[in-house]
Amino acid sequence: MKYAFYVGCLIPAREISYEVSVRKVLPELGVELIDMQGTNCCAPFSIQSLDYMSWIALAARNLCIAEEMGLDILTLCNDCYESLLMVNKILKEDSDLRDRVNAILSEVDKEFKGKIEVKHLVDVLYRDVGVDRVKDSVREPFVGLKVATQPGCHLSKPKRIHFGLRRGVEELDELVRATGSDVVDYDRKEMCCGGPLRGINDELARQVARLKLMHIKASGADCIVTVCPFCFLEMDLGQLEIKRRFKEDYNLPVLHFIELLRLAMGMKLGDLEIKSHRVPLNNILRDRL
Amino acid sequence: MSIKSDFMHEVANTPRGEGILLCIQCGRCSSSCPVARLTAEHNPRRLMEMIILGLRSDVVKGRLPWYCLSCFTCLDRCPQGGDVGEAMFAIRNLAVREGNVPRGVILQARSLIRTGRVINPTRSSLIVREKLGLVKEQSTGIADVKRILEKTGLDRIIGYRRTVKE
Repeated sequence: MKYAFYVGCLIPAREISYEVSVRKVLPELGVELIDMQGTNCCAPFSIQSLDYMSWIALAARNLCIAEEMGLDILTLCNDCYESLLMVNKILKEDSDLRDRVNAILSEVDKEFKGKIEVKHLVDVLYRDVGVDRVKDSVREPFVGLKVATQPGCHLSKPKRIHFGLRRGVEELDELVRATGSDVVDYDRKEMCCGGPLRGINDELARQVARLKLMHIKASGADCIVTVCPFCFLEMDLGQLEIKRRFKEDYNLPVLHFIELLRLAMGMKLGDLEIKSHRVPLNNILRDRL
Repeated sequence: MSIKSDFMHEVANTPRGEGILLCIQCGRCSSSCPVARLTAEHNPRRLMEMIILGLRSDVVKGRLPWYCLSCFTCLDRCPQGGDVGEAMFAIRNLAVREGNVPRGVILQARSLIRTGRVINPTRSSLIVREKLGLVKEQSTGIADVKRILEKTGLDRIIGYRRTVKE
């Protein structure tokens, strides 16, 4: 299994532990990551809000790079995933738009041909690697750890473009169970984290995150596990902001799924990686330091 | 209050906006919207109604386009297969051309035009990357990005109105 690895911009800048864990864990599961060279921003929702063609052309340029590599793309971020997945689908289906975009791309010696697929980490782990292989890799299972999963919206919504995943939620839950942990149910599990409003309407973004955290806390979860860097930011940093704004302390450690798996496989998190979590991981790490 | 009777078709003819023509005003979008739950100011059904009625300036010049999370819950629940969540991008594209853009979005666009990314590593994050033995900084194809955005005119779209709304 070999993929064109699209790491995005938020993860290498702010969530380095996510990137490190992916680079350590995936090869153990038989996945080879080939870094894409010279990629640009995926053109997330903020850029899509400004101009349609800028979105399509920028995302298409990234798709062209993977086509030249002859590999499907693996993304770690729900926002990158949705942007690249949507544009790949739109351009495969709309030949008029494809011609217009290729006219722009010809300026930079690129041409969209529509020869590859775009996959999210959950997609690759669940379908290509398989839950059984993930389970077999676990050496030090988490026993009795109660996990609230936060799959994030763009892993599975809107349904019509996500042909593969059932709901995203179920796949992630199965992967979490493969680490030995228990998945707790909570109300509004499929609700947004509030992240897309960060920088646009911070007060509202906090309130959405707070609603989510209230329901997670009520479920009795020990921690939150996510697969999106924006959800991670809202759930982790968000707890500090909410503590300041609403004087409420949720004290729920937040992990990227791949960090949970890395620990369950018996690997340790480095000191710098542990400290990149704003809500301390104490109750997760206990005897895993 | 001015009425622009062809506004619905203007939205429908803007990329991603065509779903507005299918709206039957059932309100399922509003009942699924996490933001509508938290603030009465945002109500997707009412926003669609304003478009259908032709209240152009109330829609594109106000705060209404900028409440949506793009979580796409409404899109999955719309009985018409209509695209409220998608139409929001058409509405925003129109709002931007009226100079109605939140500052945070402008800053991301400026970063994109300057560096090829909306978020860039800080100096300290580069030090951490080096300590962990990660690739220092990957190139962003900035020359290509600049060329593409010259063709699409993104800098003109965000730049020609100086006012930036907080």
